[in-house]
Amino acid sequence: MNTNAQKLQNELQTNLQTLKKLLPSEDVLTYAFQTADGVDCALMYADGIVNKELLGTLIARPLSTLSLQGLQSDDKSATVEKTLRFPELKRKETYQDAVKEILDGNTLLLVDGLAIGFIAGAKLLPNRTVMEPPTDVTVKGPREGFIEDVKTNMSLVRKRLKTPDLRFETLKAGKRSDTAIALCYLAGTTNEKVLKEIRSRIQKINIDIIPDSSYVAALIAPRPHSVFRCIGTTEKPDVFTAKIAEGRVGILVDGSPIALTAPYVLTEDFQSSEDYFISPFLATIFRALRFLSLLVAVLLPAFYVSVQIFKMQLVPLGLMLTIASSVQELPLSPALEMFVVLFLLETLKEASIRMPKYVGMSLSVVGALVLGETAVSAGFLSTPAIIIVAFSGICLYTVPDFVETGSILRWIFLIVAGCLGPFGIVLLSTFLFAYLLTSDCFDTPLLAPFSPLTKRDLRDSVVKYGMQTLNKRPKIFQSKNKTRLRVNDDKGDAYES
Amino acid sequence: MKANTAMLNDDGVSARQTAFFAAFVLPIYKLLELPALLARFAAGDLLLPALIQFLLQTGVIVGLLFAASRSEKTLVERLEERLGKWSRLVYGVYALVFLFSAVLPLLDLEKFVYAVFYDTSPTLFSFAAFFLFSAFLCTKGVKALGRIGDLSLFLFLFPFLALIIMSLVEADITNLLPLFEQPFSNTVSGVTYTAPHFLDALFLLPLIGNLRFKKGDGVKITTGYVSGSLFTLLFLAVFYGVYSTVAMRKHYAFAKIAQYFPVLSVVGRIDLIFVYMLCVVLFFYTAIPLRNAVAYTVKASGIPSKTLLSFIVNLGAFLFVLFCNKYYDNIYAFFGNYAFPFVWVFANLLPLLLLLLGIRTKKENKENSHA
Repeated sequence: MNTNAQKLQNELQTNLQTLKKLLPSEDVLTYAFQTADGVDCALMYADGIVNKELLGTLIARPLSTLSLQGLQSDDKSATVEKTLRFPELKRKETYQDAVKEILDGNTLLLVDGLAIGFIAGAKLLPNRTVMEPPTDVTVKGPREGFIEDVKTNMSLVRKRLKTPDLRFETLKAGKRSDTAIALCYLAGTTNEKVLKEIRSRIQKINIDIIPDSSYVAALIAPRPHSVFRCIGTTEKPDVFTAKIAEGRVGILVDGSPIALTAPYVLTEDFQSSEDYFISPFLATIFRALRFLSLLVAVLLPAFYVSVQIFKMQLVPLGLMLTIASSVQELPLSPALEMFVVLFLLETLKEASIRMPKYVGMSLSVVGALVLGETAVSAGFLSTPAIIIVAFSGICLYTVPDFVETGSILRWIFLIVAGCLGPFGIVLLSTFLFAYLLTSDCFDTPLLAPFSPLTKRDLRDSVVKYGMQTLNKRPKIFQSKNKTRLRVNDDKGDAYES
Repeated sequence: MKANTAMLNDDGVSARQTAFFAAFVLPIYKLLELPALLARFAAGDLLLPALIQFLLQTGVIVGLLFAASRSEKTLVERLEERLGKWSRLVYGVYALVFLFSAVLPLLDLEKFVYAVFYDTSPTLFSFAAFFLFSAFLCTKGVKALGRIGDLSLFLFLFPFLALIIMSLVEADITNLLPLFEQPFSNTVSGVTYTAPHFLDALFLLPLIGNLRFKKGDGVKITTGYVSGSLFTLLFLAVFYGVYSTVAMRKHYAFAKIAQYFPVLSVVGRIDLIFVYMLCVVLFFYTAIPLRNAVAYTVKASGIPSKTLLSFIVNLGAFLFVLFCNKYYDNIYAFFGNYAFPFVWVFANLLPLLLLLLGIRTKKENKENSHA
């Protein structure tokens, strides 16, 4: 029989020896002590993730004053339980459960003569403090961000949704990491079908470790090979709660500050939390700007190449002459030149992320001045190409959640434009539209609310209406609870002129 | 894990999507070669043959909608229920009809692409890329058509209106006057020669066929089609207003109509951006008959692999375009001069045959009376 599945024994030493065999690692420590009348007790825990002070104050000290001799097994365990004043105290009867709890950061208390173990929740995991996420900075609005601890993240959500309808379901995935995955939703608001689908997909995950939520996102995505993602991400609890309140399902993964939300629609990427804290007119302008910027980021290099090779009419004559004069002695073809400049940009970007901060400054100088300036003066590259790629690079960052997809699309559009010109660009756009039209994830079309057209949801797409008009939840998530804002009939005081 | 392709609307397509399809997708092909053709036959009276065709098509569409409204089941469900295995034969006929209906749009599109997208001569195989897209679309269900209708609201309406506004500056609508200047025989020639451009009822068939009819749907779809017709008529009027007597030589009308807008000389051909947006709808339109042909072949043959059929159909279409594009004028003349009776059968009578499904059987009458 497997030792893991065996039950704990009455003899403390036997239990300790078996557990030591199951957990031979040096960071698993045993602290032995005795009760007032000499009954042996032992605490077993993983070093570094347990609050030792609590163990001393709430377990060792009270037990060392206790007398257990002569008590029956049941009375003994009841007395121990009464003495320990831990808010989280559980009983475990098998070695397997005991091992799991120790590895999870809890402490196992064994008492000689008892065939059970007491699990005390004295977890003290090393965590960073809640701070503003670097990837999602806002000028106005809440600044808290998720951290790597799932419990803290759950509390950040609970802080914002003080309703019994907010439900957390903790699932486990990862054979070796045994990572906690918290499904988070509003009962009565979330579409049950989607919730069931996500739950079943998480339960089917069969992998050894889950170091980050991106693993979960990739493993439960209905279209895992798509360039377009199927699951939304956020590092901000306010955004997360707002999405849950709209009828989505949230997923918090232990060890990751990035929370997942599903279903996901493409327009989400163009929305910023700040849009809801500023004037709707301004929010609409910003959203339109992001939308245009993304088009420029993805299409501008491709159009520049196709203009030079295939369709010169696209730009006015004066500009065409300027471009022609700057590229006339270049050794590279327009497509190859753009390819090289784009490659330089991506390399610089990648290096500046990975490089230590103190080298970053020199990298900017080398990248921007030395490479750019000298390449132009040496006649390898043209100034318009560098301007276009730089502008395209900046534009892409107006929609930070779309950077990965945007970068891939920019390369594809560039290659197609080099081969087929504007025809290729339009054809690829049509292909992408066709793909997006027919790509549904978790019962939700990616291109919603534009196709299928959902008139009500258009109020919070590229155009942003005022809060008073956004009184219904988005139709696309098929929430049972449709109303989110009851507009008061009171029109306010009438002022006489 | 298999992709979840469940849609928002379990009914497949909605009346709104069908109406949008009729309003924003169907007119696009008529903005290509039709204006020059009509100007050739009817000169300033070019609106007249177009109007006759639209009225005819509207009648057929209303007929189809009447047939669809007669039961809670879709036309496709009723067809299969009534004809049983013989419905495969009907699907086979429709597959062939859709293949033929793709001939002229494909040839027109190829010429259009080479003329509008390239200043220099492109390679022989440049247009082949279109068939990759088409092959992809061919594997998609009828719901995709409905969603194309929705999306075309944005991709057709805004650029179309922008082009019309830009071209109005140069348009002299009085060029259309006096009305009825041309002999009626010219109008008749215009009607017969341009018949292959008016296959609207046929194109709407897969959508209406899968529509679970509700009260008010008929009005919606008819309004959609009438709006699409009005867009085309407006375009024809502006087109003749801009080009007048040289209109017959102005092929690929929508790509050229706004080119005289004064600002373009300063900022470059920004009208091409609107033209390119319309091209997205045009590409969809051209691939749709191939998609329909594949869909009906699957139903007729029972071959489960849409991918394989899509590959075969698109490869065939590509080879056809590759080898037959030099006979473009002959094919056009054949369709215009000789094949128009068949085209009318395809475009009007064949869809109208579904009216027979509108006649309720005794069993259906019983069911209805019980309900």
